[in-house]
Amino acid sequence: MTAVATTPGTVLFEPRAAERRRAIAVTALAAIGLAAAIALLLERFAILEDPTHVPSCTLNPILSCTSVMASDQASVFGFPNPLIGVVGFTVVLTAGASMLSGARLGEWFWLGLQAGVTFGVVFVHWLAFQSLYRIGALCPYCLVVWAVMIPLFLSVTLRNLQRWQLSLPRPARSALAVAVDYRSTILTVWYLAIALLAVQRFWSYWSTLVP
Amino acid sequence: MRTDAAAANAPTPLSPRMRSALIAGALVVVAITVVLVYALATGPRGLAPEQQDGALPATRTDSHVLDEAGPDAPTLVEFMDFECEACGAFYPVVEQIREQYAGRINYVIRYFPIASHANAMNAALAVEAAAQQGQVEDMYHRMFETQAEWGEQQTSQADLFRSFAEDLGLDLAAYDDAIADPSTQERVQQDLDDGQALGVQGTPTFFLDGERLELSSVQDLTNALDRALDASGSA
Repeated sequence: MTAVATTPGTVLFEPRAAERRRAIAVTALAAIGLAAAIALLLERFAILEDPTHVPSCTLNPILSCTSVMASDQASVFGFPNPLIGVVGFTVVLTAGASMLSGARLGEWFWLGLQAGVTFGVVFVHWLAFQSLYRIGALCPYCLVVWAVMIPLFLSVTLRNLQRWQLSLPRPARSALAVAVDYRSTILTVWYLAIALLAVQRFWSYWSTLVP
Repeated sequence: MRTDAAAANAPTPLSPRMRSALIAGALVVVAITVVLVYALATGPRGLAPEQQDGALPATRTDSHVLDEAGPDAPTLVEFMDFECEACGAFYPVVEQIREQYAGRINYVIRYFPIASHANAMNAALAVEAAAQQGQVEDMYHRMFETQAEWGEQQTSQADLFRSFAEDLGLDLAAYDDAIADPSTQERVQQDLDDGQALGVQGTPTFFLDGERLELSSVQDLTNALDRALDASGSA
């Protein structure tokens, strides 16, 4: 009765508290992402109405939505990227809120979420690369989207891997256990890597801000 | 049950989540420290570049002086990015001011190409290459007059700039050499570095006799020039 958690091969059902924490995290992250995507879309509209409009997120030559929004990369699929965010984050927000209200999502639904967050996280990193090394500017609302996409991806992926871990080889299972315990470290390293790249890329600019 | 009791009495080790949070916090502290130490170690930032003998205020001896009225006249320096729309908008205003104050002020242009403008550096190189053949002002005019045609493009406009050089009757072989020569880029970079050291954060930024001007209207610029002229006249 005591050793359920350590018996190899036993399905580890998460305690309810952990499930609830995840539901809260997913809901909150999706809500923040949705707000940022809507803000980006509204700024787009404002620029369409008045091409001289300076978006609220254009603060200086580096932190500038204007340069980013004017780029081809801002509508890779032929329509403004934030549309993807508005639809995607709404789906995730609804899923998170359903979980919070006590719904159990089917495994196929989690599979769908996994597909969505995987696309999202890959897309966000492509955009980050473009923003840093091709466009040469950072758009603050986009940074918010990057910042929520990463923990969202981690949260959904770790949940799904735990659920499907019986089909994983043993070493992968122990690696997964470590990853679950140390997810805050993983997230921090991930953030730091991107932050340091941004610091390095725009070093000459940031250094003017330090007196 | 015995194992449970033993576990309860043992000194509780940190939970993995807590340990993870501590590691994460430590990493953030380390990263910030490294960046700050590096910043302090590399940059005498905020210190104005040394004023060279014989150079006008906020310029170097090799800076491009478009209007010269002698060392005693007020010196207006503009840090510019040829792709920046605000600089393009200021261009006719500056031209009018140059005409209005002709012979009474020095006007010096310095490069400040901003990284987010894909062709800002190419344009600065083209102007610098033209400068090496004594045609800095013609290329400067050409850049701002045509800015709407090539600005905000992601692709290199170097070929277009080369055609400007051809139109101006420059020696194209020498122009190409200058564009390819790393020292041309270093020359532009030097202006950029000086600008940053002087506190330039965007373009256009004007300096009058070494003092940065905070402008909210054209009037501010002419007022500042009038004051400087009065001061030099009475002195």
